[in-house]
Amino acid sequence: MSGSKEPLLDFEVIGRVTLATIRASSVLSASNVADFGVELLDYIDAHPGLALVINFENVDYLSSSVLTELLRVNKKINEVKGRLHLCAVSKTIREIFSITNLDRVFILHEDGREAGVRRMERSLDIAASEAAWEEPKSS
Amino acid sequence: MYESFFQEEFSSTIDAMGEVLNRAVQALIQQGCIPADREPCARLCLEEALVNAVEHGNLADPVRKVRVELASDDEGCRIRVYDEGNGFHPDKVKDPDPEQLGGRGICLIRHYMTDVEYLAEKHCLQMTLPCMPVE
Repeated sequence: MSGSKEPLLDFEVIGRVTLATIRASSVLSASNVADFGVELLDYIDAHPGLALVINFENVDYLSSSVLTELLRVNKKINEVKGRLHLCAVSKTIREIFSITNLDRVFILHEDGREAGVRRMERSLDIAASEAAWEEPKSS
Repeated sequence: MYESFFQEEFSSTIDAMGEVLNRAVQALIQQGCIPADREPCARLCLEEALVNAVEHGNLADPVRKVRVELASDDEGCRIRVYDEGNGFHPDKVKDPDPEQLGGRGICLIRHYMTDVEYLAEKHCLQMTLPCMPVE
């Protein structure tokens, strides 16, 4: 991200989960959207294995440019073996994901930040439990 | 018969576009074309059309202009976005694969708007926002 600009997201570490709250809908305007993506990608690069919940509570709509940035973020998260959920997703925003078939790519929750973090915690627990049941590899 | 209520032209930059977008959305609301709770969908479609004109039509060349016109009748609001590019066929733009990065703007416009077409002789994308009366 370029030096003196105000951050577009607030990152909070809550237990094993990082909550990234988008500060306002204007963060996702056409003039900001590339910086939004870079800010997230830089954070993911610095935190391999990140369990990231992006909080949309301050967002009332998003454009296809934002979807493009979110797809980049999702790809990066997968590369670093992290996890991504989106929380506080309004009906309007969910509809946009649905129209573009991206509700099949992203894990979306309508719940607010606390429930969003809890759902991610649960998802991590399930993943850890499943990993424990994997057959040990023969040496 | 459509009655025009908004016309603006701007250089093909994203910053200039943002200001015109805000004024156009306000004009739609003041004209009674959309209830406040449907503003995000109207804003979304206008933004997609304007970004398309700036970036794909005019190749972000600030010398080239984009013009937006809004006009209404009893059936809805006609939106026209003019550029100086080579045009395209909205009907031939396929819905993108889930993993594909771009190409979702027209998909969203087609969902929320009707009569979406590119008028080659006028160099403009035309679409209609169906009447959504304010309750």
